Amino acid sequence: MPRFILRRAYFATLTILLVSIVVYGVFSILPFDPAALTCGQKCTPAIVEANRVKLGFDKPLWQQYWLFLSGIFLGRTYGAGSAEFTCPAPSFGYSFNENMCVTDMLAEALPVTINLAIGAFVIWITVGVGLGLLAAKFRGRYPDTISSVFVLLGTSLPTFVTGLFFLIYVTIKWKIVPLSLEGFTPITESPVKYLQYFILPWLTLAILYAAFYTRFTRATVLETLGEDYIRTARAKGLSERVVLLKHTMRAALAPITTSAGLDIAGLIGGAIITESIFNLAGLGRMTLQAVYEFDLSVVVATTILAATVVITMNLIVDIAYGYLDPRVRMK
Amino acid sequence: MRKNAISTRVLAALSAGALVSTVITVGATSTANAATPKAGGTLYFLEHTPRLDHYDPSRIYTGRDLAFMNSFHTRTLVAYNPVPGEKGTTLVPDLATNTGVPSNEAKTWKFTLRPGSTFEDGKAITCEDVKYGTSRVFATDVINDGPAYLQSWLDIPKNADGTSTYTGPYKNTPAGVAAFNKAVTCKGSTITFNLNKSIADFNYLATYGVISPVQKKLDTGDKYDLNPQATGPYKIVENSATQLRLVRNTKWKKSSDPVRTPYPDEVIIQFGLDEEVIDQIMLEDTIPNAVNFGGPLPTNRDKFFKDAKFADRRMNNSDPYARYLAFNLVKMPCLEIRQAMYYARDAKALLDYAGGPDYAGSYATGVISPLLATDFEATKVVGPSDYKNTADVIDATTGFKPSGNVAKAQAYMDAAKTKCPADYKKATETGIVIDGRPSASDNDTIPINVAAYARVGIKISYNLIKSGYYPTVMDATKQSDLSTSGWGADWANASTVIPELFTTAGGFNLSQNSKDPAYKAFEDKVNLAMKTTDRKKQAALWKELDKEAMKNFWVLPTLFGKAQEIWGSAVQNVFFWVPQGNLAYGKLWINQ
Amino acid sequence: MVSKLKSANASAAGQIISRSPRQIAWRRFRRNKVGMVSAGISIVVLMLSLFAPVVCKILGINPDELNLDLIDSSGIPTLPNGGISREHPLGLTPGIGRDLLANLLYGSRISFLVAFLTTGLAIFIGLIVGIVGGYFRGRIDDYLGRFTDFLLAFPAFFMIVALSEPMVARIQETGIAQGNSARVIFLIFFLSFFGWPGFSRLVRSQVLSLRERDFVTAAQAMGASRKRIIFKELMPNLWAPVIVVVSLSLPGYLAAEAVFSFLGIGIQPPATTWGILLDNARRFVTVYPNFFLITAGSLVLVVLAFNLVGDALRDALDPRSER
Repeated sequence: MPRFILRRAYFATLTILLVSIVVYGVFSILPFDPAALTCGQKCTPAIVEANRVKLGFDKPLWQQYWLFLSGIFLGRTYGAGSAEFTCPAPSFGYSFNENMCVTDMLAEALPVTINLAIGAFVIWITVGVGLGLLAAKFRGRYPDTISSVFVLLGTSLPTFVTGLFFLIYVTIKWKIVPLSLEGFTPITESPVKYLQYFILPWLTLAILYAAFYTRFTRATVLETLGEDYIRTARAKGLSERVVLLKHTMRAALAPITTSAGLDIAGLIGGAIITESIFNLAGLGRMTLQAVYEFDLSVVVATTILAATVVITMNLIVDIAYGYLDPRVRMK
Repeated sequence: MRKNAISTRVLAALSAGALVSTVITVGATSTANAATPKAGGTLYFLEHTPRLDHYDPSRIYTGRDLAFMNSFHTRTLVAYNPVPGEKGTTLVPDLATNTGVPSNEAKTWKFTLRPGSTFEDGKAITCEDVKYGTSRVFATDVINDGPAYLQSWLDIPKNADGTSTYTGPYKNTPAGVAAFNKAVTCKGSTITFNLNKSIADFNYLATYGVISPVQKKLDTGDKYDLNPQATGPYKIVENSATQLRLVRNTKWKKSSDPVRTPYPDEVIIQFGLDEEVIDQIMLEDTIPNAVNFGGPLPTNRDKFFKDAKFADRRMNNSDPYARYLAFNLVKMPCLEIRQAMYYARDAKALLDYAGGPDYAGSYATGVISPLLATDFEATKVVGPSDYKNTADVIDATTGFKPSGNVAKAQAYMDAAKTKCPADYKKATETGIVIDGRPSASDNDTIPINVAAYARVGIKISYNLIKSGYYPTVMDATKQSDLSTSGWGADWANASTVIPELFTTAGGFNLSQNSKDPAYKAFEDKVNLAMKTTDRKKQAALWKELDKEAMKNFWVLPTLFGKAQEIWGSAVQNVFFWVPQGNLAYGKLWINQ
Repeated sequence: MVSKLKSANASAAGQIISRSPRQIAWRRFRRNKVGMVSAGISIVVLMLSLFAPVVCKILGINPDELNLDLIDSSGIPTLPNGGISREHPLGLTPGIGRDLLANLLYGSRISFLVAFLTTGLAIFIGLIVGIVGGYFRGRIDDYLGRFTDFLLAFPAFFMIVALSEPMVARIQETGIAQGNSARVIFLIFFLSFFGWPGFSRLVRSQVLSLRERDFVTAAQAMGASRKRIIFKELMPNLWAPVIVVVSLSLPGYLAAEAVFSFLGIGIQPPATTWGILLDNARRFVTVYPNFFLITAGSLVLVVLAFNLVGDALRDALDPRSER
C-alpha cells in the first residue's frame, strides 16, 4: 500500500511540474509585451526596457521559469535600489496592477473559493444522493418522476442563467435574500452574513451538480440492486432499509467519492461564472479580472494552482478508492 | 489631463453636454444645507469597479479619485476651496501657508509649510518630505500613471530622447541627484521649485499629489500604492478586494488644516457591486448613508430624475470632459475622409441612445469644454454654432447636422476619391478600425455607427481593448485609425488641454499629427500661448488653436458630457465641486 | 454492449422478421414520445437557424435594422410588451430596438457553428487516438494514455478563459483571421483541444472490449488486414456510443459559447450571439424582464431539447441502460 501511494504521489508531482512548465511556457510566448502594460502614458522605450528588467522578462525563458520556480521555495525580490522589495516564499510572482505579491492575493481569494466549493458540495451531495436513492427505491413511481424532471432541468440550465436569475429576481426584485454588502465574512464571525453571502452562489452551483449526482446515484444503486449479494442480503431477511443504506450504498460510495473529489477540485479552479455573477472575491473572479487586464503573473499562478488542486484531488481520490474498493489495491 | 478613465459609463455615453458658459452646476443641493453639520456615522460609497486605479498620491490622475483622496486622506501644498459654485475653483493654502509665491518671471515658485502638520504616524511634515515626494515621479519605472508636468517643467537637464537625467530616488546617478537638488531646494520650511520656463499657473499643479509629502523611510515604491501614509483627517485601515476603509487619523489636527471638516467617523468605498444592485439600494434607500460613486445606470435615470421624491437626492451636471475620437493621422492622412467621417456620423442617434440632451449632454464644438469658461468659445467649425443647440437641423455656418449631413459627407467622399484614392479605397473596402473600450453600451452603439457610416459607403470595425486602453492606444504601433477618447482640463486653463492633445511634447497626443502640413505653425502658436502671461490674450490664443485643430480634423469631436449623481437620504450638504467635476466629498455629513 | 445487441439480433433472426440493429434502435426511439418531440424541436431550431436569412425575409424582420424611434431615453421599447407585435414577433431589444427574434436566429448561427465544429473536431481526434490506443495497446497506448491524463489534469475552462485574449491576439497577428473569425477559431480549437480526451477514453474502452470479441478474433484469424479490421469491424460498432456522446455534448458546447460571450471573452459585438444578448438582458432586467426571460428561455429550451434527444438516443441504442 505505501508503495502504491508513493508511486502515485511521484507521478502527481511530476505532472504538476510538467503542467507548470507548459502553462508558463504558453503564457510567456504570447505576443504582447507585459512590460509595456506596466507603463503609464508618457511611456518611452527606455521605461519599458527598465520595467522589462525589473520584471525579469529580459531573461531567457528557461531562466524566467527557473526564477518563478525558485520563487515558490525561496521567495523573490523585485525592483532595484531603495524601491526593492521581496515577496517571501512561497512567492508566485508580483502583480503590478494590484501592487501585491500574488501569494497575498491568493491568500485573500482562496478562502472565498474554498467556502463556495465546500458549501455547494454539501448541498449537492445531500440533495443528489438523497434524490437518487429515493428515485431508485421508488423506481417508476412519482418520486422517480420528480427526480427525473429535476435532473433534466438541472442539467439543462447553464449556471449563468440560474445565477443571473437568482441575483436578479431573488436578490434585486423579490429581495428574499438581501444583498451582502460586507463581502466575505468568515462563519465564525457572523453566520448570518456568511450565509447571506454564499447561499445563492451555493444553490447556483449545487443545482447543476445535484442533478448529475441524482442521475448517477440512481443508476449505480439500481445496478447494484441486481447483484447477487444484495439478493443474499434480502434472503437473509434484512430490512429493505438496511439493504439499501448499508449494502447498496457501500458499493455506490466508491464511484460517488471519485467524482465528488474531482468535481470539488474542478470548482476550486472553475467557479468563474458563479463568482463573477455574484461578485464573490474568489479565485475565479480574480483570474477573470487578471485576464481582462493582461495581468500575467496572476493568470499563470492561478492556472497552475488550479491544475495542482485537480491533480492532488486525483491523487487523494485514487488513494481513497484503494481503501473503499480493495480490488484496486491488488492491481 | 484627467483622462476620463473614471467612469466607463460616462465615456461610453459618448455624448457631450453643454453647460452654462460659466461653471454650471445645477440640480439639487441638499435642503439640509442650513442645518448644523453633525459628526459621526459611516459614509459609504458604492462602486462597481473592483478598486480605484491608484491611492499613491504621486500616481492618482483620475478626477474623481483625486477629489476623493484629497478630501479625506492626502493633503497637498494648496487645495481647491471646497465650496459650491465658481468659488470652488479658487486656490486656498493647505499644507502651505500661502498659495505659492512666484518670482523670476514665474520661473521660481516658493511655498512655505504650515507648522503642526503630521503624518499618520505622528512624524511632523518637513520640507524634505515634500521634496522627497516630488522626486518620486521621476522614477517612471516604479511611479507611473500620474501627471508628468514635473518631469517637463523642473529645471533638470534632459536626455536626447526627452527623458529626465534624474531617475528618481530609488536608482539614480550622482549627476541626476545633483540636478534635482538644484531644481528643488529646501530652506527651513520653505520649498523652492526652479522651473525651466515661465509657468504662470504652476501652483495649480500643487493641488495634485505629485507634490505632496512622503516619508522616505516608509516609501515602499510600487507597494506604497496600497497604503500610503495619511496626512489628512482619515487613514486607510483596510484596502481589500471588497472595500477601502478609512477611519479617523488621530494624529490629524484641525488647527493645522484650514480646508477639511471631517464629519463621518468612517468612510468606506464598497467595491465590486453590481451597478443594478447599487441603483436598487439607492431607489429603496436601503443604505441612507451611501453615495452612488459611479452614478446611476442609464436605464434607471428616469426613476430618479422624474420622481419628485428624489429631489433632494440627485444632481445632474455638466461634466468637465470633452469627448472625441482621435484620428491617427499616420493612418488617416486624407483630410476629406476625416471630414466625411465627421459629417456622416449619426450624432443624434448616439446622443439619444445615451439619454438625450437631458442626461447625456450636447454636441461638442471642439476639445475645450464650456466648463473652461475663460478659454471656451464655440469654434463655429464643427458642431452647432450655439453649442447648447441640440436641434436636428443643418447648422448654416458649420454644415453640422446631428443626425448626419449625408450630402456633405458624400461630397467629401467624392472629393477624396480623386484626391486620395488609396485612403478612399481603405475607407470603402478594407474598412476603418476604431479603438474602443468594451462596455455594455458598445454592444449597442456599434451597430448605430456601422449603419450611419454605411450611408456614405464607409466601412468601420472596432478594436475593443479590454485592459490598458490608454497605454495601448498611446503606443503608435498599436493604435488603430481612430481612438475613442475624452479629456478634461487639469486646471482652469486650456494650457492643460491644447498642448497636451495636439503637440509632440503633449502627454496625450493620440492624433500623431506632427507630419501634418499645418502642424509647424500650430506648434509655434502653442508655444506663444504658453508664454503669454496676459490671461485674456492667452485665452484668445487657445480659442484660435481649438478652432485650428478642428479645421484640420485632428480629432472628431463628439460630446460635451453630463453626469448624474445619486445619494441616500441621510447624506447631507451635497453640492457640486467644480474643479474635478464631482461632489465635494469631504463636506458630506450623515444625518443620524 | 452494442455487440451484444448484434448477437441478440442474430439469434432472433430466424424466428421473426430480420431487423438490423439500426432498425431496432429506430423503432425504440420512435416509441419514446419525449424524445420524438425534442428531436422535432431540435430539428426545427436547427433549420430556423440554418435558414435564418430566409426565415427573417418571410417574417419581414431584419436583425440589423435599428428602431431608435421606438425606444425611450432609458432604452426601453415604448410599445407595450416590449414591442411584441406582428412586425416584431418577440419584441425589440432594448437600447437600440433591434428585432429580438431576428437577433436570436442570427445569433444562434454562431453558437451552432461553434458547437458543431467543436464536437466534430473533438470526436475526430478522440476517435483516432482512442482507436489507436485501444487497438495497438502496449507502449503506444501507454503514451497516449499518459498524454490524455495529462490534458485532463488541466483546468480546461480556466485555461480557455486565461488564454482567450492572448491567443486571439496571436491568431490575429499571424493573419489567419481577424476579429470575430479569430475568436470563433480560438473557441473551436481550444474547446475541442480540451474536449477530445474524454471522447478518446470512451472510444478506447469500447475498442478494448470489442477487440476481444469473437468476430474480431475471427477476422484476424481469417487474415484480414489491420485496415479492414479497424474500418469494417471496429468502426461500425462504435457509432452508437459516439452518437450518444455527440448529442449530449452538443448542448454543452452550445452553452459554453454563450458563457464565453457573456464573460466578454467570446464573440464581440456588433455580431450577435445568445451570450451577448443575455449580457444585455442583465442590464435591463428590472425595467424590461421580457428580454431576459425570452432570451434565457430560448437557450434553456434548446439545451433541454438536445439533452432529451441525447437521452432518448442512448435509451434506444443501449438496451441495458435503465431509465
